[in-house]
Amino acid sequence: MLPAPFTPHFLTQLETLRLRTRKEFLGSHTGSYSSPRRGTSLEFADYRRYAPGDDLRYLDWGIYARTDRLYVKVYREEVDLFAYVFIDASASMAFPSREQKFLPASHVALALSYVILANHDHVKLHLLQDRSSASPFYRGRRRMADCVNFATGANVGGALDLATSLSDHLQRLRRPGKAILISDFLMPAAAYQKGLNLLRAFNLDIAAIQVLTRQEVDPDFPAGSLALIDSESQREIRYQWNGTARRDYQTRLAHHNLELKSFCHQSGIHYSLYVNDRDLSDFIFATLPAIGLFK
Amino acid sequence: MEFLNPSALFGLLALPLLLLPYLIRRKPRRLVFSSLLLFMDAGETASRRPWGRIHLPWIFFLQLLMLTLLILALSEPMFSVRPTHIAIVLDNSASMQALEGGKTRFALAQAKANALLDEVGAAGTVDLYATTPRLEKIRAASLTPAEAKGAIMSMEPFDLADPPADYDNLLNQLAREHKYERISLISDHPARGQTAAIRVVQVGQTQANFAITQFDIQRSSLVNAGSEATIEVTSFSDRDEKLKVRLKSGATDLATRDLVVSAGKSASLTFQGFADHSFYAAEIDVRDGLPLDNRRYAVAPATRGLRVLAITPRPRALESLRAIPGIMIEIVSPNDYEKSSRTGFGLEIFHFAAPASLPQNNSLFILPPESNSLVDLGNPVNDVNVTNWRDPHTLTRYVNFNLFRPSYARPLKPQSTGEIVIESSKGPLAFSVERQGFRYLTLGFDPFPYLGRDNLPMSIFTLNLLDWLFESQGERGRATGTPIPLGKVGAGDRIITPPGQKIAVRPGANYFAGAFFQGIYQLQHDGESQRFARNLQDRSESDLRAPAPIELRSRAGVNNETSALFALWPYLLIVSVILLMLEWFINPRMRSYSFWRLAKPLPQRS
Repeated sequence: MLPAPFTPHFLTQLETLRLRTRKEFLGSHTGSYSSPRRGTSLEFADYRRYAPGDDLRYLDWGIYARTDRLYVKVYREEVDLFAYVFIDASASMAFPSREQKFLPASHVALALSYVILANHDHVKLHLLQDRSSASPFYRGRRRMADCVNFATGANVGGALDLATSLSDHLQRLRRPGKAILISDFLMPAAAYQKGLNLLRAFNLDIAAIQVLTRQEVDPDFPAGSLALIDSESQREIRYQWNGTARRDYQTRLAHHNLELKSFCHQSGIHYSLYVNDRDLSDFIFATLPAIGLFK
Repeated sequence: MEFLNPSALFGLLALPLLLLPYLIRRKPRRLVFSSLLLFMDAGETASRRPWGRIHLPWIFFLQLLMLTLLILALSEPMFSVRPTHIAIVLDNSASMQALEGGKTRFALAQAKANALLDEVGAAGTVDLYATTPRLEKIRAASLTPAEAKGAIMSMEPFDLADPPADYDNLLNQLAREHKYERISLISDHPARGQTAAIRVVQVGQTQANFAITQFDIQRSSLVNAGSEATIEVTSFSDRDEKLKVRLKSGATDLATRDLVVSAGKSASLTFQGFADHSFYAAEIDVRDGLPLDNRRYAVAPATRGLRVLAITPRPRALESLRAIPGIMIEIVSPNDYEKSSRTGFGLEIFHFAAPASLPQNNSLFILPPESNSLVDLGNPVNDVNVTNWRDPHTLTRYVNFNLFRPSYARPLKPQSTGEIVIESSKGPLAFSVERQGFRYLTLGFDPFPYLGRDNLPMSIFTLNLLDWLFESQGERGRATGTPIPLGKVGAGDRIITPPGQKIAVRPGANYFAGAFFQGIYQLQHDGESQRFARNLQDRSESDLRAPAPIELRSRAGVNNETSALFALWPYLLIVSVILLMLEWFINPRMRSYSFWRLAKPLPQRS
């Protein structure tokens, strides 16, 4: 049973999309993504001197006629894609509730997974939390149900150290590919930079999708003295909430997001912000193509 | 500006309590948030400030102002206008001699009085009054402020207790009669319910004090020449104290002993075997609030024997008393009693006689005529059976009442408060009264003549009654203010007061009424000197812990038109009520606005 946003129409629309990669990876099967290896695709790559044993069908007879030398045409190999979707499943993703933040985040992940599965590529879902858990590789759109079960059945909680958690997952990662990191990124800049740099070090083509709730973008606390408790560390601070404090907070959040976006831009990472009250199809079909995530 | 009820100003100390509801109301609401990353710089960690930063709304300051005005209104502030005709009443009772940081309360009162006089215009007039021995004017004519200052400085407190007086009535009467714009009573007593025209200025603080509350010198018994001194010390303090008690005569120390007095209790001791002197003083060594009551005086019994004045129409019966050692008896007929010199007698026996008024001496009344003020007599009874008697009692000790059978008696019907000592089946036979330090015994039977061993029960009773009356003979220390009986005054008689002032006695005077200071008074009469002791004998004066308040009640129509004070408090009250209404009007709207803002749904943003 697919979640509510995944209507047949929505799925049909998703099937029209294909992820775009900015790197070439070695796939396992023939696919639609270019590989650094030479192969038999229709895309010409280079010439090389003929060597005995080469297939005579690839000889370029025109060059032979002009230069009296034998050259064969070399084509790119097109392979399938291995995609890794990392979903932040720490306690902060359950604010104000699991349904309001984690599920929208998982819906984004599932939509992207479906795009990958529909292209007969491989997708693996990773839950980022204090204890690492990951799904097996799924391939083919019939595995969408498995993806849904894995993502929506996740328990949200615990504190997250992004770099540590990613490191756990990356140690078991054998093939480079596309990495999609879905998180609220409400952590110090140094923390998310360390995590994203780790992904870069594994030669992954990275996309970062920041998921926030409307309450986080525009908190509606009652005016007065508040004792705010961090959902992950349980640390408590006293805060006097009023109009000025609200504006201060929004300024800080905008600055934080801008810093994240700037870092992603400099690091060649696709970045996009998704606020939970936004329509999912609008985000998938308008925003993500705009940042170049899809071909 | 003055405050009629300055104690209400202590309410200002309670103003910080107004913060409490705000602290409680502002107790932070606990909310879980995804991450505090963006709050860290601006917020405060809970450990640093337990209450967080106090945010006080402007309504708090409105309430603060309202409460301040209300408290000020309760303290009844008054604008004073310079009065032109005032009265200053100085409390000059004994407790005003209590020390307050090296100065007496009376000196403080004088300073306060001078300060009050500074408020009076130069053309103003002042009347000065003192409270003891009774509330009366110091000078007949009104004084200018400068003259009043001089008169005040020349005043000194008496060693007298506060007279029982209703100051509310007295002062209001003064205000009415003399049209005073203001009457200021300066006293160590607090006041309740001061009025605009009548003010009480309190001086002095509560203090611990110790006092000698009893000092008696008496012969051990009729036949024993030795004297014994009984001293009682009372603590008006919250702590136990070990005191050194001295028995002195003049500058000579006769005996010294330590005495432990528990907090709030009395303790007494007895000195015996000390040398004979004409007068004695008892002293306690202690630094306390009131030095005056740390010393008391007493005069030794006038003679070693008992001088008896017998007034009887049957002298032979009383002649028999001469058989008792130590008894010196002088017999006069009832008709000669008023003409006789009654000084120097320790006992007066009225045998079938009674004086017009109770004598200032220990007295025995035997079957007095109907005209006496103590008892009425019942019908004569023969063969009386004694059915009841007080035991233990000096009068009844060693008496075998089974053998005590007066042949003739008339039961007594007491007409005043006293004690029935012996009672028969027909009614009381012996009735004793103690009044103003004198003992009066009335008998419904005649114990005379004294028959010695021939009638042992009656003889023992006779000796007992002489002992009982002898116990209190002599000039015991009486309260200051008690008049000194002068007897027959001759030319050249004079009284020497404790401060050494010699006052000629007016011929024809029966009493000297000016014994306002504690000490020994000497009456010089015909070359002889008789001493009288006067002591401060009022426990309430010695108790400096909680002086009784002076109750004043505001009375409509009393001097309101001439008051020098302008009441400010009604205006403060009105302003505070207006502020209260403003707060009542605004606050619910603030709350509903706040509710609306919180209840507003979040806007959908794309």
